[in-house]
Amino acid sequence: MTTVETVAIQHRPAWTWLSTLGRLVLATVWIAAGVSKITDLDASVRAVRAYRILPEIAAQAVGAGLPAVELLLGALLLVGAGVRAGAVVSAALLAVYMVGIASAWVRGLQIDCGCFGGGGALAAGTRPTYGWELTRDGALLVLTLLLARWPVGHFAVDGMLAGRREENGR
Amino acid sequence: MMSKKTGRRTRSLVTARRGPSVLMIVGIVVVLLFAGAVGFGVYRAQHQSAAAAGAVPTNAIATGVPVGQASAPNTIDIYLDFQCPVCREYEQQSGATLDGLISSGTAKVVYHPVAFLDRYSSTQYSTRSSAAAGCAAQAGVFPQYVKLLYANQPPENGNGLPESQLISLGQQAGAGGNFAACVSANTFAGWTAALTDAASKGGVDATPTVQVNGKQIDNSDAALRQAVQAAK
Repeated sequence: MTTVETVAIQHRPAWTWLSTLGRLVLATVWIAAGVSKITDLDASVRAVRAYRILPEIAAQAVGAGLPAVELLLGALLLVGAGVRAGAVVSAALLAVYMVGIASAWVRGLQIDCGCFGGGGALAAGTRPTYGWELTRDGALLVLTLLLARWPVGHFAVDGMLAGRREENGR
Repeated sequence: MMSKKTGRRTRSLVTARRGPSVLMIVGIVVVLLFAGAVGFGVYRAQHQSAAAAGAVPTNAIATGVPVGQASAPNTIDIYLDFQCPVCREYEQQSGATLDGLISSGTAKVVYHPVAFLDRYSSTQYSTRSSAAAGCAAQAGVFPQYVKLLYANQPPENGNGLPESQLISLGQQAGAGGNFAACVSANTFAGWTAALTDAASKGGVDATPTVQVNGKQIDNSDAALRQAVQAAK
């Protein structure tokens, strides 16, 4: 039994550590984003409204629903459950965020992206930082795509399940 | 706990080099949507209870505090946050102009003390100060209280003013009676949440925002004078 597990781990190449790192970075970002929003759902709804894209009821649903979605997605990635699927969903979410931010930029709105809470209101005397927000989300998007391609890492529920399967002799 | 069958499916989906993990993605999306729906439900429930409990201060309306003659021909809406330094600057710059327009009966001013900047203090100062301003409106000293709150504005990313100071400033403004109890009980926090939400729904997402007869203007004194002049 031990031999089988050891062999399985030894067969994992070096990139699995990079994959693990990327997965944990992504998990941390989602959890940070979710925690900063879920403590003030009103602010989260205001942030979505500030984009002036969605009708009222949809803005409420998205604003109040997203924090829980982000937290859960972060938790799944943290424990490594369904990493490839989580990465794909992350990529889709990030792409939507980037479209929203770009649209706010194009329309000349003066808002904060609300990515990490804050209700969309800019702090006093600050300008929007759409360029930085898009760059950051773009980098994360690349990370999610890499993770979707190479999801297998360490300390992951997925890996434990796979290991057990090998134990069972296929 | 985990059956052999489930383990195999997970493995094949996760470690497959190619091919869709469609089933897994659908599963995760469903779970995430469920979490989102729970969040939405919590939000709606919070709002229903807040709406039921949301008392409006005497001398105030659901969306703010009107100051001046109700029959004045012009209405100036000011969306402010007591934590916002630019709002204080606006008061210093245009406070006298506004006072003049009010006393001459040219305009009434509706102050909307929104709580946009709660995260810039460790104690949700925006909400607490706005709710306390509701108590000041009830006590009939709102204009004086606004000036005192600005004069004593705490720095951003600090602790905000303590409750004792919110109370003493109100007493300094002339509020008596149950003002202290009103502030201590955070009586009008629901009113603050409701008027903040109303401002957000109305497309206001920054403070200060100034509107003359419903039309947003620049935050300069010249723009304010010009807009009121033009409306005559």
